[in-house]
Amino acid sequence: MRLEDVWLRYHRRGPWVLRGAEVRIDPGDVAVVLGRNGAGKSTLLQLAAGVLRPSRGRVVDRPAAVAWVPERFPADQPFTVGAYLTAMGRVAGLGAPVADRAVRHWVDRLGLARFHGVRLPELSKGTAQKVGLAQAMLRPPGLLVLDEPWEGLDAAARELVPEVIGEVLADGGAVLVSDHRGETVRLPGARQWTVADGTVTEQAPSEGAAVAVVELAVPAARVAAAVARLRADGHHVLRVRDHAAPPPATRPAGPSADLVPPSAARPDPGPAADSVAPSAALPEPGTPAGTTLSPTGRPEPGPAVDAGIASAGDPMAGVPSPVEPAPVALDGHAPADQAPEVAR
Amino acid sequence: MTGLVRLRLAGFLRTGRALAPVLAGLLALGILYGGGRARPAEAYGVSAVVLFPVLAWQTKLLLDVEPDVQRRLARVLVGPARERAAGLLAAAVAGLGTVAVALVLPWLVGGVTVETGPGDLPVAAGVALGLWAHLLALPAAVALGALASRAVTRSAGYGVAVLAVGVVGTLVLGLSSSVAPWLVPPVMPTARALTGALTASTALLLSAWALFWAVVALSGYAWVRRTRA
Repeated sequence: MRLEDVWLRYHRRGPWVLRGAEVRIDPGDVAVVLGRNGAGKSTLLQLAAGVLRPSRGRVVDRPAAVAWVPERFPADQPFTVGAYLTAMGRVAGLGAPVADRAVRHWVDRLGLARFHGVRLPELSKGTAQKVGLAQAMLRPPGLLVLDEPWEGLDAAARELVPEVIGEVLADGGAVLVSDHRGETVRLPGARQWTVADGTVTEQAPSEGAAVAVVELAVPAARVAAAVARLRADGHHVLRVRDHAAPPPATRPAGPSADLVPPSAARPDPGPAADSVAPSAALPEPGTPAGTTLSPTGRPEPGPAVDAGIASAGDPMAGVPSPVEPAPVALDGHAPADQAPEVAR
Repeated sequence: MTGLVRLRLAGFLRTGRALAPVLAGLLALGILYGGGRARPAEAYGVSAVVLFPVLAWQTKLLLDVEPDVQRRLARVLVGPARERAAGLLAAAVAGLGTVAVALVLPWLVGGVTVETGPGDLPVAAGVALGLWAHLLALPAAVALGALASRAVTRSAGYGVAVLAVGVVGTLVLGLSSSVAPWLVPPVMPTARALTGALTASTALLLSAWALFWAVVALSGYAWVRRTRA
């Protein structure tokens, strides 16, 4: 599918949101759309999905079966989860038995079974988001467009998104996904499109310069200074959270994953230490270096805040790594110069 | 597309939004038939005029009950043309239900007379003409309601304004002394025609006029909706 010289504005005299966007995505490709709030990420995704029509230019070779997961699922509807999903399966052109089977499959897969008879307005945000994902997957999509799919999902469900994406890609589909929280480090090998000032640019992947995610614990009182220093050193701070021992569901696979507690983000982490609860798992003296690290490189007792940091290749100054040059926790690989910009 | 029509009708009925126009319609028809008995064709002609705003309002409610994002989800699944068509079709089906109530109601409340004088139409012919009058009003009402829907007007205020201007315009410009009767659907002229002897040519003209108006209005709706998802 290609966007050829696509321009878009929402009103006749309004400002151009996109100007001359030229992008292409092929079957089996996944592209991550990055950009600041209001840059036009959702607009680009909606153009690709066919929700919006370009003011100028055209979208060609869009697959017949497109699935779109909106940023916010429209939960204000008078249906139960099961009835809604079945109806959406029928809308997508599935026969009754096929739709029922697909609904059962995705309801089980996404952990929605106990919500089957619950009315949509009564769902929590995360559960509603899962319904949004389920409705998109009922008909196997040739193009799956996900707008901030991790928003509001719990740790276990966040792991499902890359799985689902992988399956769509394996079936020869293409996937477009937007993200502003750095979750796309879970999608190694994704192409990266950046939307800024109305233009879309694709970063060429730079070989051999992968980004790794390092998790470290710092005393709560010093978190602001630590974050500032890490940023000054050119690192991308992905998030700051107040639990040092998150659930194991998000344990990343990697050579040194067993050294480090995996990440579990709060639904809405602040850019700095806006909440500094004492850490549940404090480093003991003798703890393998790298389990939790203070900014000074010395495991310290006391209240701590975990910070996920994307390190762009160079070892972090002042932070000794136990297995040089391997990163402390490896969540995924991505081109070095495009570390997701999160929680700035 | 049938799936989407069903989904939208279900949404309309389950939210209870269908109740308001039905009550308004019953109230208007109750007042209409409370004054005494009339011949079927004549009574149904006025009934179609009274129901025109109700049908347009009902269409707007039906189209607006679905959240904007849900409408866009449907657009992605079935494509823009079918998404639009499904909404109009759902509104037409709901409108047919209201028309059926309007056709039956006068018989229940004794609003029509079965006595026919010399030169009067048989009762069955009167009912058939009544059905025709309502079916002429329905596409125009659906088109007006669609033009007033949130997908087009984007705000509640503009939506009500479009609906009010459309209805008042249809009534005022439909008067016999109107300067531009062609601008509006022939709801009033149809009612007038049904008070006397209706010739075939008049019936044909009114049918073509109503159809043409609905086609023009629905084309406008489709054109505006191209860029308004």
